[in-house]
Amino acid sequence: MKKSASATDPLWYKDAILYELHVRAFADSNSDGIGDFPGLLARLDYLQDLGVTCIWLLPFFPSPLRDDGYDIANYVDVNPSYGTLDDFKMFLDAAHRRNMQVLIELVINHTSDQHPWFKAARLAPPGSPAREMYVWSNTNQRYRDANIIFTDTEKSNWTWDDTAKAYYWHRFFSHQPDLNFDNPMVMEEVLKAMRFWLDMGVDALRMDAIPYLVERDGTSCENLPETHLVVKKIRAAIDAEYANRLILAEANEAPADVRPYFGNGDECHMAFNFPLMPRIYMALRQEDSRPITDIMAQMPAIPDNCQWGLFLRNHDELTLSLVSEDERDYMHFAYSNDPRMRVNGGIRRRLAPLVDNNRRRIELLNSLLLSFPGTPILYYGDEIGMGDNIYLGDRNSVRTPMQWNSDRNAGFSKCDPARLYLPIIMDPIYGYQTINVEAQLGDQSSLLHWTRNMIALRKLFQVFGRGTFSVLNPANRKILAYLRDLDRGDGSHETVLCVANLSRFAQPVALDLADHNGAEPVEMLGYVPFPTITEAPYVLTLAPYAFLWLELQPPRLKPAS
Amino acid sequence: MATTPPTSGSATPSARPGNGLLVLLAAMTPEQLKRVFANLTASFAAEDLIIASPDAISELIPADAYSSLRIVSAPANNPAWTLTAADFLNAYQLAEKNEARAILMLSSESGSLGSPALRELANAVLATTDLAVPCYDLPPHAGLVNSAILYPLTRSLFASRVRFPLAVDLGLSLRMAKCLADAARNFTTINQGDVPLWPVNEATVAGFTIEQFDVGTCVQPAGPDLNTILPLVTGPLFSDIKAKAAFWQRFRSLPPADNSMPLSLAPSTDAVADIAPMLSAFRLAYTNLHEIWSLVLPPNSLLGLKRLSTTDAAAFHMPESLWARIVYDFLLAYRFRTINRGHLLGALIPLYLAWVAGHINITASGTAPERHIEAVAEAFEADKAYIVSRWRWPDRFNP
Repeated sequence: MKKSASATDPLWYKDAILYELHVRAFADSNSDGIGDFPGLLARLDYLQDLGVTCIWLLPFFPSPLRDDGYDIANYVDVNPSYGTLDDFKMFLDAAHRRNMQVLIELVINHTSDQHPWFKAARLAPPGSPAREMYVWSNTNQRYRDANIIFTDTEKSNWTWDDTAKAYYWHRFFSHQPDLNFDNPMVMEEVLKAMRFWLDMGVDALRMDAIPYLVERDGTSCENLPETHLVVKKIRAAIDAEYANRLILAEANEAPADVRPYFGNGDECHMAFNFPLMPRIYMALRQEDSRPITDIMAQMPAIPDNCQWGLFLRNHDELTLSLVSEDERDYMHFAYSNDPRMRVNGGIRRRLAPLVDNNRRRIELLNSLLLSFPGTPILYYGDEIGMGDNIYLGDRNSVRTPMQWNSDRNAGFSKCDPARLYLPIIMDPIYGYQTINVEAQLGDQSSLLHWTRNMIALRKLFQVFGRGTFSVLNPANRKILAYLRDLDRGDGSHETVLCVANLSRFAQPVALDLADHNGAEPVEMLGYVPFPTITEAPYVLTLAPYAFLWLELQPPRLKPAS
Repeated sequence: MATTPPTSGSATPSARPGNGLLVLLAAMTPEQLKRVFANLTASFAAEDLIIASPDAISELIPADAYSSLRIVSAPANNPAWTLTAADFLNAYQLAEKNEARAILMLSSESGSLGSPALRELANAVLATTDLAVPCYDLPPHAGLVNSAILYPLTRSLFASRVRFPLAVDLGLSLRMAKCLADAARNFTTINQGDVPLWPVNEATVAGFTIEQFDVGTCVQPAGPDLNTILPLVTGPLFSDIKAKAAFWQRFRSLPPADNSMPLSLAPSTDAVADIAPMLSAFRLAYTNLHEIWSLVLPPNSLLGLKRLSTTDAAAFHMPESLWARIVYDFLLAYRFRTINRGHLLGALIPLYLAWVAGHINITASGTAPERHIEAVAEAFEADKAYIVSRWRWPDRFNP
């Protein structure tokens, strides 16, 4: 039976607070060292209290787990290590009861080489529908203009299969053959899998590796018009059969290439803002707002029903594929001086270690995350400043178990520590005995409390999720200043001035706010009235890494005080 | 009459196409029913009315008392001392079913409302007003939970001067009724239909028009005792405030005082109530509940309570600013579940009793009760910035 949507507002994702987590890494209920759905269910109150409104689950499907679940062997089941379908349904219902939506992965560019479709394809005669579920070739010279993404492990996008006596195409690992969207059966199967989860009540789908769905000779095999047709078909199927659902595009592309994934509001509802993310870190280290203001100026307008997904960190490396070579070198020098901190050209570190565990820098970056145009996405553990383990392979450095308390295995699992899917962080700075949820819940000044308060504050102001964005350009480039404005539709506006000091030293700034002459800024965290804006430059002084959010109140609505 | 011109005493609303006014009655005794029917028939043309009652009227009163009226059956309701989510849902469903244009909800004691009051409430919602609320003239020491908490909180946060935000008699436009029914469904779907709703808050958030009418002296339905009633009303109000935080945290100017509202500014002539039991409850609680209060209240408030605990009965008075902060801090603790919510609201009771003792002392000294209540409401307004800042940044390290 098809379940109706849990959200009532079709644009719910614009006001959402997303929280990305891996079921495997969050909480283990059966002491086998691997997180599971009953464990996650038991921690839902924590997420609700944090202010999360949408939980993004990394792949939890049956898989050989050679790419942390992005190598799917069955689209319509739950990996037994994480529980059962019934466990998932219980989790889903419990999340909905807490007014939280659930976003899952729709990894349709490729499957695992252990998927029955691929096993059958290898044996099927060339040209048959079963064989054509994947992309085959007698030569490895096709699609030569497509780059290799996992440069640290793959030398080619083609791998020879002895059984099939042909090469198969894989844009990622060689054990992840790409599906062939030129075969209509592939789309049928994808829609079938999608309906399976949406019928159950799942609210949102993240379309992994969306630019690579279709390949054509003589192209980079990215962002092809045929790929957009595939996306449009999926969106049309959702719109025809379901209400208030969401597709989130993972397209690690330049702004001009991401924009088409919104279509005319008829492709993806949301897309990650990959170009912005590395420039936030660059601006912070260079103490210069220019990297951010430059990239913001390049951001194209998007349809009214669409939204950017903003993030500081995620389960992958901090990707640098969208910056210039010089900028990449700078970022490596700035944030990953140890080569073990790098993978695939990016940086495999968590938020807190990236900024040398400096609380003010963490807060500043989060203030940008929560006030830039888009929907913020938090990565599990970053709300308590969890560390990473660069001695673990691939991107596992940032995928270690959640640190709940200072008990054995950080309260994540009661198993023998040797059974844990990955070791707990144990170093003296980020170790679980120092950094854990329980300790931070008991400490009113903790990063966890700070994050919770900031999320709650953001949720009071719809302007952050729905308002326009305009950069002010003060002479002092160490200061980033911008206005967010929302026309409430009744003649009134919600206007917020955000000012951030990217420098490690106190900085003055004079802002041209003449357009808001007469307005009274009210500092939003403490509800403190600031001097009224006049035609003259508005002068502020900010402490190192400080930020200010000022609601510009019209003169007639001054506070009683 | 408060904010609209008075209607003529002899005028009755003219018949309109379709059905007019749905009058939803609470469960009543035969005597109460007779009085209400007499008032209704004196106030309205019978053809404009649809009476909905949970009672088997034909078994309670003679047919000639209602023969001209169209009576429909209403779902049974609790003999409530306030209007609940289930009541509002029933009201809207009945109005829709009977194609009514507006609704008058009347309590079991509404027989004490005069015909002019009924007409004013009904005419307002049959015209352009969405919510018509009575302003009762109660005895000086009646309705003090409202005076101490509900009224000042609603006034400061929702910028409404409605003196009785939890009035048991109401006029509703159809769209107001729909708005309340929508809010009610959040409770009825989880079997919490007996939770009070806050029509003034709903109307304010929806941008609907509210009018308040002086209905004179009126008997109020008997409610439960203080230990029951205070948590029963403050809990839902605190929850409603939490749900509407994004709304009330915007600056909103209070409408100007309505000088035509004849709230009594004369000193109380009632016999002075004995405040000794209230003070001893407060002082005992100061010893026993201090630990809980310390979790909720900041140092300045605790210091104020310490001073109060040693103040003589004759000079006892809870400063208005202290009371406002106490209520605000309990509201915050309710939001954050600092302690079990039931225990939290229980811990508020002795503090409320201390406020009541001070109120009685003040009124006994010749100050009109309404003047003191006005001062309390002004203290809540003056400190609104405190609740907003603490709500947004609930650091315990505060003054």
